[in-house]
Amino acid sequence: MKTPLKLAALTALLLPMAAAQSDIDPNGKATFVTTAEPTFNPWSPNSFVESNLLNELLFPGLTRWDKNLRPSPDLATSWKASNDGMKWTFNLRRGVKWHDGKPFTAQDVAFTFNDIVLNKELGANQSSEWRNSVEKVNVVNPYTVEFVLKKPWASLPTYLGYYSGILPKHKFEGVKDPWKFVEFNKQNPVGTGPFKVVRVSSGASVRLERNDAYWGGKPKLKEIEFKIIPDSNAQLAQLLSGDVDLISVANPETLDRLKSNPNLVVDLQTQNLYYWISLNQEDPRFRDVKVRQALLYALDRPAMIKSVLRGYAQPATGPIAPIQKNFYTNKVSQYPFDPARAKKLLAEAGWKPGPDGVLQKDGKPFVIEMPTAQYQQLLPITLLIQQYWKNIGVKAELKTMDWNSYIQQVVVKRDYQGTVNWWSTPADPDVLPYYASSSAGTGYNIPGYKNPALDRLLEEGRRATSTSARKKVYTEAQELMAKELPYLYLWYPQMIIVKNKRLQGMRGVTQAADFQYAHEWYVTRK
Amino acid sequence: MLSFFGQRLGQGAVVLVLISLITFSLINLAPGGPSSAVRLDTTAEQREVLIKQLGLDRPLAVRYLEWGGGVLRGDFGTSMNGGEPVGPKLLERLGNTAQLALAALVLSVVVGIPLGILTALRKNSPLDHAVNGVTTLGMSIPDFWTGIMAILLFAVTLKVLPSAGMYDASGGFSLSGWLRHTILPASVLAFVMLPNLVRFTRSSLLEVLRADYLRSARAKGLSERIVILKHALRNALVPIVAMVGLILPALLSGSVIVESVFGWPGMGRMAVDAALGRDYTTVMAVTVVAGAVVIITNLVVDLAYTLIDPRIRHD
Repeated sequence: MKTPLKLAALTALLLPMAAAQSDIDPNGKATFVTTAEPTFNPWSPNSFVESNLLNELLFPGLTRWDKNLRPSPDLATSWKASNDGMKWTFNLRRGVKWHDGKPFTAQDVAFTFNDIVLNKELGANQSSEWRNSVEKVNVVNPYTVEFVLKKPWASLPTYLGYYSGILPKHKFEGVKDPWKFVEFNKQNPVGTGPFKVVRVSSGASVRLERNDAYWGGKPKLKEIEFKIIPDSNAQLAQLLSGDVDLISVANPETLDRLKSNPNLVVDLQTQNLYYWISLNQEDPRFRDVKVRQALLYALDRPAMIKSVLRGYAQPATGPIAPIQKNFYTNKVSQYPFDPARAKKLLAEAGWKPGPDGVLQKDGKPFVIEMPTAQYQQLLPITLLIQQYWKNIGVKAELKTMDWNSYIQQVVVKRDYQGTVNWWSTPADPDVLPYYASSSAGTGYNIPGYKNPALDRLLEEGRRATSTSARKKVYTEAQELMAKELPYLYLWYPQMIIVKNKRLQGMRGVTQAADFQYAHEWYVTRK
Repeated sequence: MLSFFGQRLGQGAVVLVLISLITFSLINLAPGGPSSAVRLDTTAEQREVLIKQLGLDRPLAVRYLEWGGGVLRGDFGTSMNGGEPVGPKLLERLGNTAQLALAALVLSVVVGIPLGILTALRKNSPLDHAVNGVTTLGMSIPDFWTGIMAILLFAVTLKVLPSAGMYDASGGFSLSGWLRHTILPASVLAFVMLPNLVRFTRSSLLEVLRADYLRSARAKGLSERIVILKHALRNALVPIVAMVGLILPALLSGSVIVESVFGWPGMGRMAVDAALGRDYTTVMAVTVVAGAVVIITNLVVDLAYTLIDPRIRHD
């Protein structure tokens, strides 16, 4: 190619890029919403969903997730497991500064885990999970830490990127109760993230400014504001009026209105989340796998997805969602809508039609007590299930309550026969805490399911470090779970994110992963 | 007069203690608790730790007495959700709610009383019927719906007013910013309060207009303006003042919904958040302070009677 031609081609190629770059507003500001006043401490037991995303901007972890949801470097640059899988060494990034200018070192990592997360007296978020697997964190040198494990934990790097921000040791020195460290947790947090808190207006908003000293370069946005708006309709109105740049939409019924707005763009994200029905294994009726299978065959899940979720979901086959491309398999037992088969399986399990149309066994009618919460779409879903089960002669008795009372009855007391809910986990196939026999009754294993074969597989999955070995184990585990149905798997919903077109640079993977790359976001000039 | 004042204050204190006792018992007996708040993935072990940290493992009576002792010393305790001292935060939020309630009250009074007078004087006229229709709407439409519709019209479609918050994005106070943010929520709150005030003013005035002394006043040759403004209205005002006194507690409770819809950082929203999160200390503080506000308002209204109508004596 001759030089002038080359130059022209290059100019043609670069011009749009240059134009795009010049469109970036250097003083850009993005506005988000959150539902309540956040707690600026990812490990605080008072830090719930309203704090999670904001904390991602302030407190990076050792790892974060890349576009394929694999753990990639953040405050750690590389890591390696020992041959027996009992020790993981993490090399930390040099030159990272806390928001107050102090250097970030291995001491901060050791403090976060040893003094906060693994401290039994504190009951930090997810601490049971960490304490089950991690013995302690040793400082090898100022830029190297070593996680000493109680048992192999192949998914450690993934968990380190899941709302596991590192706290500054120097700020917590002399603090007796880290949860009552109000100055830090509610007003002036100090992190290493691309943004730092500059103003908290009680009950109204939190203003963040870019951290010019961020190790990854100057963030493109100058400011981010989180408005505290609990009401979802008010959030929607703010988005439509342009006062807010991004919301996640829980109710898909409002989507048509949003789609027709030329300033907005709808982004559908899959995530590691699945809805389930839990059948309490304390109840002997549900220990019969035929009963569990029958109750799933009785549900027309595609129709339910269409009516409740307006189609924004796909039927689930197990706890490993399709977003985990390396591990997900759908070559497992399937349960298409088949009421005849459901009835047949129930008959095989000894359930015979009673005089009032409700199935009976040993003179007792098949009635399932189902507590449900007035929360998002749980009630309409449970009502639909009630209808489908009625068609096969199973009566579900609903009891609706507020979320807090629901947790008390279902999770704390395990006083239920059937219930609907969902799990959201890091994008890793390691689901041991949710299915292990050891966590039945007290831990995350809500149905109280016990199966030694599954326990063995899940333990093996934690020991296997290579992707191929893990794939083999977790394929087998998925096959087993689809056949045995520890939970009745309902669907993998899509997360609906609606954002203003001017807000750009988001990766569009999952919201949690997107917020780990906030320095890449920008807004275009109007 | 002084003994009346003292007596009422004493009664108020007893009522407050009762309110606190009932609220304390109710929230503690309700299922759930701070330790089971919000997260499905909190384990039994973590919950036990939390229960101990928050002191919820101690007897109810001990906790109540401790709380009461704190309140007497002016300490409302710390929030179970985040450890912040409740008192200063509540004061700030109460101030925000007072601003909203006061704006709504002014709007209701400025619009409601003249409308009531006008409809009384023009009883059964088209204006009377029209106002009657609008006030019926105001009474029957829930405030959250009115709020959302107002947001859709003025913030989303016309884009003339902000849809949520109290101040401009800069976060600082400016009168114009405050006014712009207050118009919508205050109007919605006033729209709900207005019907009572209009109707009450109307019926109160109509009753007075039928009184004999007004006929005498007219017979003396006084102008209609003087008859209405000086004689009729003054007497009609006594029950209207009582009505305003009744509206205040309704404004406080109405603000719970309106504050949530408009993202207004007031006491109503604080109460909702605290109740949902089972933040016992905050729920207690909000209830007691709201109760005290209502009791004091009623006392002030009673005192106002004597100023309007010296015939009423509190002996």
